[in-house]
Amino acid sequence: MLNLAEALDASGLPDGPLAVISAGWQEAEADIDDVREVTGRTLEDLRPYQRANDVFKADERLADAYRVRQDRLKEQQQLYRQRLKQLALAALQTLNADGDAEIVAAEQRHAIAQLRALDRHHLHRTESIHAEFDASFNSSSHSLLADQAREMNEIIDRSAGVLITGGNIVVLLNRMRLFDLEASLADTHVAAWSAGAMVLAERIVLFHDRMPLGRRNPEILGGGLGLAPGYVFLADVERRLRQRDRLHVGLMSRRFSPDVCVALDSGSQLLLEGERVDRAEATRRLSHDGRLTKLGAAA
Amino acid sequence: MNLALRRLLRKGDPSNEEIDAFIAESEFPLVDENDVTFVFRGEAEAVYLRCWISGLDAAQPFQKLGETGLWAATIELPRGSRIEYKFDVVRNGHGELILDPLNPVIARDPFGANSVCQAYGYERPEWTEIDPEARTGTVEATEIESAIFKGTREASVYLPARFRRNRQYPLLIVHDGLDYLNFADLKVVLDNLIHALEIPQMIVAMIQSPDRLKEYGADDRHASFVAEELLPHLLDRYPLVDEPDARCVMGASFGGVASLHTAWRHPGVFGRLLLQSGSFAFSDIGRHQRGPVFDPVAEFMNEFRETPGCPAERIYMSCGIYESLIYENRSLVLKLQAQGIDVRFEEARDAHNWENWRDRLRSGLSWLFPGPQWMVYE
Repeated sequence: MLNLAEALDASGLPDGPLAVISAGWQEAEADIDDVREVTGRTLEDLRPYQRANDVFKADERLADAYRVRQDRLKEQQQLYRQRLKQLALAALQTLNADGDAEIVAAEQRHAIAQLRALDRHHLHRTESIHAEFDASFNSSSHSLLADQAREMNEIIDRSAGVLITGGNIVVLLNRMRLFDLEASLADTHVAAWSAGAMVLAERIVLFHDRMPLGRRNPEILGGGLGLAPGYVFLADVERRLRQRDRLHVGLMSRRFSPDVCVALDSGSQLLLEGERVDRAEATRRLSHDGRLTKLGAAA
Repeated sequence: MNLALRRLLRKGDPSNEEIDAFIAESEFPLVDENDVTFVFRGEAEAVYLRCWISGLDAAQPFQKLGETGLWAATIELPRGSRIEYKFDVVRNGHGELILDPLNPVIARDPFGANSVCQAYGYERPEWTEIDPEARTGTVEATEIESAIFKGTREASVYLPARFRRNRQYPLLIVHDGLDYLNFADLKVVLDNLIHALEIPQMIVAMIQSPDRLKEYGADDRHASFVAEELLPHLLDRYPLVDEPDARCVMGASFGGVASLHTAWRHPGVFGRLLLQSGSFAFSDIGRHQRGPVFDPVAEFMNEFRETPGCPAERIYMSCGIYESLIYENRSLVLKLQAQGIDVRFEEARDAHNWENWRDRLRSGLSWLFPGPQWMVYE
């Protein structure tokens, strides 16, 4: 958020009030004074976290269905994680293998293809679970949810743009999906950082190499909002990614290609117009050779 | 012997000024890659190193270094080790246990303090020290009317920073809780791990027994107190997740026994256990080899080993390899795993002391209660 004001200026965001989505901050959702100070704009707090809590309190049936969906997603994620463990280890070992270059390269390609197939399968399964949930209720029979969603979308429509903060990415994404905000966001200017930026992609990749008990394999959480196709955003890379581990970095890059893995660090800026990069300040990308290289404009 | 000390002595006895200078520029004990040299300066008939390491003699004699007034003892100490010790200085035929006068690093425990030797490669974990950026939780007292113990028992309850009544929190019950606070920096560790999102915000009830060797030694009254009086009391007063997998009992030494025994006597109540250097004495045949205070413990452990059941679904255990209890703990791990219990066991190059238990809190707590770190991107 340090360079938010500069980024907003550079983006040519029109004057006017901005809507804020800070559901990732959960109970601290309303603590947006710092954002207000940095932007110097009038902010309208969309409060999706609080609104969702109010809706769940009033609509028990919806709350139950939502809980069931979350349990199913959790179970799906755990099974995916178990399978991923084996495939990721095999891929790393294969990438590290010596021997006949042609044989090794073929096995490396296949190992990565297996990982990508598992990722695709998991993405498909999570989307199916979401689709089943969406199809299981008629929004008109959940009037409070529909009212809240309408109100939020109206606020977005009359704002000059939307700010999406970081925080808990699962909570942030779920709240945005619950109120069906994707369509409104697609038609406006969006400035987002950390988890807020990560949800804009078509796929959300969770990663952290410095957990208390060591590295966890990067994993797909599920689909994002799809507002920035062609990219996977990785926030807080300086702290979370072992950048010198070229095998690991290279595997991430190859595994998630053709999407470009973009490292979002403190001070980096990326101005996107659809898939086109108009401006990339101090922003790096993960490369197939395991390095982090500068992301050029018009990539 | 340490190279610098050998250099000091190589031309015969150094002068007092040379010794003063050597002491001023050195850190004691003198740590080398694979061993450590302890140095004592003063008049004595004999000096011994007492470091309570299982496998080494209880008293390691110092060598008198000429007429310098210096004494030295070198012991092998593998990388990453951390041990606590005292000097046993004999004067006029009487031994006196003292802290190492040349070493400012000490560790406190309920019996006083010991000098600390940090071997090559050991570093105190950052997360055990106060982080000015971490918001601090609060500790409040609560009183439990106990029909079992026929009186009032007090517990200290840690509430995390940003505690809110309308949220629900996992619960950790800590035996010897005040000792964990005072000697293992439990509150600092909780504040830091919660701040770093490595564990979730949680409520921690710290209990202290007036007669721990009896009550923690597999005493059914204590198990009932924890499960039937303390837990309902806490559920009544605090917003807790009312599920076994959101409840953990932990303790060290006899506190480890009390934790395992409580969960075993009340299966299905506690889904998580954190057991540090548990005093899990048992005997395969005949009588156990520890003192009479272990009689009820060995009786319980022998019964437990016959019919372990499933005291909890997830158990974290740790033990120092310089304590004799390492054998009992290793043996218990296999027993628990055979029951299908998810067990994580860590051995440390340390002994039976509070800082060993402090240094393992991060891996234990974050394994039993993973925090939201994985999903939070700020």
